[in-house]
Amino acid sequence: MAGNISLSHPASALRLATAESPVARAVLITITTGFFALFLLLPLAVVFQQAFSKGAEIFFKTLQDRYTLDAIRLTLLVAAIAVPLNTLFGLAAAWSLTRFRFPGRSLLVTLIDLPLWVSPVIGGLIYVLVFGAQGWVGPWLMERDVRVIFAVPGIVLATVFVTFPFVARGLIPLMQAQGVSEEEAALTLGANGWQIFWRVTVPKIKWGLLYGVILCNARAMGEFGAVSVVSGHIRGKTNTMPLHIEILYNEYQFAGAFAVASLLALLALATLILKTYAEWRAAQNLRDL
Amino acid sequence: MGRIGRRHALPGFGLTLGYTTVYFCLIVLIPFSALFLKTASGGWEHFWETVTAPRVVASYWVSFGISFLAAVVNGVFGFIGAWVLVRYRFPGRRILDAIVDLPFALPTAVAGIALTALYAPNDGIGELLKPYGIKVAFTQLGIFVALTFIGLPFVVRTLQPMIQNLSEDLEEAAACLGANRWNTFWRVIFPALMPALLTGVTLAYGRAVGEYGSVVFIAGNLPFKTEITPLLIITKLEQYDYSGAAALGFVMLTASFFVLLLSNGLQSWDNKRKGLG
Amino acid sequence: MSITILNVTKSFDRFAALKGVSAEIATGELIALLGPSGSGKTTLLRVIAGLEFAEGDGSISFRGRDVTRLSAYKRRAGFVFQHYALFAHMNVFENIAFAFRVLPHRERPPEARVQRRVTELLEAVQLEGYEKRLPSQLSGGQRQRVAFARALAIEPEVLLLDEPFGALDARVRKDLRKWLKAFHEKIGLTTIFVTHDQDEAFEVADRVILIDKGEIQQAGRPDDIRIRPANDFVRAFLDLPPIEGSKVQGSPPLPLRNP
Repeated sequence: MAGNISLSHPASALRLATAESPVARAVLITITTGFFALFLLLPLAVVFQQAFSKGAEIFFKTLQDRYTLDAIRLTLLVAAIAVPLNTLFGLAAAWSLTRFRFPGRSLLVTLIDLPLWVSPVIGGLIYVLVFGAQGWVGPWLMERDVRVIFAVPGIVLATVFVTFPFVARGLIPLMQAQGVSEEEAALTLGANGWQIFWRVTVPKIKWGLLYGVILCNARAMGEFGAVSVVSGHIRGKTNTMPLHIEILYNEYQFAGAFAVASLLALLALATLILKTYAEWRAAQNLRDL
Repeated sequence: MGRIGRRHALPGFGLTLGYTTVYFCLIVLIPFSALFLKTASGGWEHFWETVTAPRVVASYWVSFGISFLAAVVNGVFGFIGAWVLVRYRFPGRRILDAIVDLPFALPTAVAGIALTALYAPNDGIGELLKPYGIKVAFTQLGIFVALTFIGLPFVVRTLQPMIQNLSEDLEEAAACLGANRWNTFWRVIFPALMPALLTGVTLAYGRAVGEYGSVVFIAGNLPFKTEITPLLIITKLEQYDYSGAAALGFVMLTASFFVLLLSNGLQSWDNKRKGLG
Repeated sequence: MSITILNVTKSFDRFAALKGVSAEIATGELIALLGPSGSGKTTLLRVIAGLEFAEGDGSISFRGRDVTRLSAYKRRAGFVFQHYALFAHMNVFENIAFAFRVLPHRERPPEARVQRRVTELLEAVQLEGYEKRLPSQLSGGQRQRVAFARALAIEPEVLLLDEPFGALDARVRKDLRKWLKAFHEKIGLTTIFVTHDQDEAFEVADRVILIDKGEIQQAGRPDDIRIRPANDFVRAFLDLPPIEGSKVQGSPPLPLRNP
């Protein structure tokens, strides 16, 4: 029975009716820290540990290897195409879905999440079925010497598919919460569509946009499953960084594989930091409304 | 673009919706219809043969079954984690909160080889467990670990805002009615959070079922034992069995669809219960 | 049950919500804690309930027994929240039965008795037949009454109401005010309610305690306060005419703090 007769006990030492006992708290915190450290932190640490396990020399040698550099170039190229395309899509989709009401709107909102629900392997499969040797358009294209599957265009397509929701998902809730009043005000003041967009909307959504772009980019550079299906795994030509990691790994060049992996891990950390910052600024914007 | 549309005051409806739809058709609808058509074109018999082949069925158990276990474990520890992160203050809390998103940000291949290295018998945790005869890498246990890794953020991030929005007067009311902390948790807090928990677990499950990169390294890919269904799709493609691959893709798509329905159903159940219609 | 509040102080961060407040409440009284927002009235109510704890050597006693260190779930003070705090996932019956469900095993009554008690309580708040409804299916006034019935289930010796009618519209408020007064007359339970509405306080309560800035400005029967406001705050808050110059009509005001 809680009850302590000492009269000058500070109130903070008493437990509120809505708080757990200190023992329970300690146990739960320990469980959480242990679980998170085991499942989340350790793998990350392993990447770096393994990358340097054979010494810094191998690390740098791998990174300067011709095929690694090709892989890095390809990854950057794919991201440079996919991210802007998907950003445009995200902006267009967010504008049409949050500024207007029309039949089929909620269906479209659900469909935008599609790649998140579907295995990335399917994301590659569908393009093989269209552009591959037995696909719809494949044979026709091959007659004209245009290769999509097992070539860069296929990789770009698969990456675009897998990452197109991210910018839209970053923008839609934000624009929905912000409402249309400012845009409507601009309209009454004589602004046309582009002016409204650039002068009114973009400044409001810039942090949400950045958040979406960061996630889109992270996923675009790191995509493995979908790209694995459409790529020919041809070194120097159709290998992105994740695929290159796979090749090195399968050849037992573990330190090399982890060296490349550590670059992507650094990208992941940068993504986390930038994303958190952008999220925080976007939430601040919303609060200031 | 300065013309005001007939139905919509704000401009840009035609342009933006047009771009969105065209993009969508090109990137999503047309390729997906290729999937359906290819599945159909293979004929019913080939379809059935493919999706019920013993090796394929074994992969269903691996993909769908282990994903389920991983999702449940994520449900438990994700719940505790979300609670701790929202309700308690302690040193390192912010870092813990930030790394929850790691499985989102880290490329799957990187996670895959890292987990394999960590749990392989010659190093790290795998080495620690060897004397006890516990093998993780290249077994189903390894697949379980990988799927738990990638599913954790879904549960934690779905629950956190819900826990934050829990009205404190519910807990105070329970206390005034004589409930101790444990009773309050079981009878008041947990039921209120149940829908969010189920949603998070469903999301984690959906992601785990389709996962490829994080799993394929640590799995070992032994037929009938540690093969996941996405891998079989790739295998079929490599054998030029396009309609077989499409068939399996169709099965996975159907499963994803049901998981999506389930998740939406949970949302509307929760909304109804709260009187939001 | 009588309640003695002695020298209660409570601060949040550096904001002093209550500054050495004392009051004496007799068994069966219906008291209104009246004041503007931020005056400390809700804090005082929560300290009485055990949802907050007083600092220093302030104390709360129920029937002479010191309960200052006792947590809310041991105090048996029935508390009705401003926004009802009904358990959304339970129907009306389960909400009211909650108090029985959480009793330690030995003290738990058999199901038949629980049924009987819940039915009695529903009758007392005029909601017979509503057992199976969910809170989302009730109107604001109905939810409030369920919250009452639920608090009464623990057979409390004091009823604490935090702005009980604050979230309801004007007409429902008037009806519930009358209902509360009648209810109190029938049951005779010591009741304290917090409000910022002076009409409500003066219509319903036996005695009114006016609080501002964490201190009691005046305590007494509604009529007494109106005739003899203790200071400028009371006068302004109740919209009473100011005293002209130094010529005081009638008897001088009572001292600042009345136990």
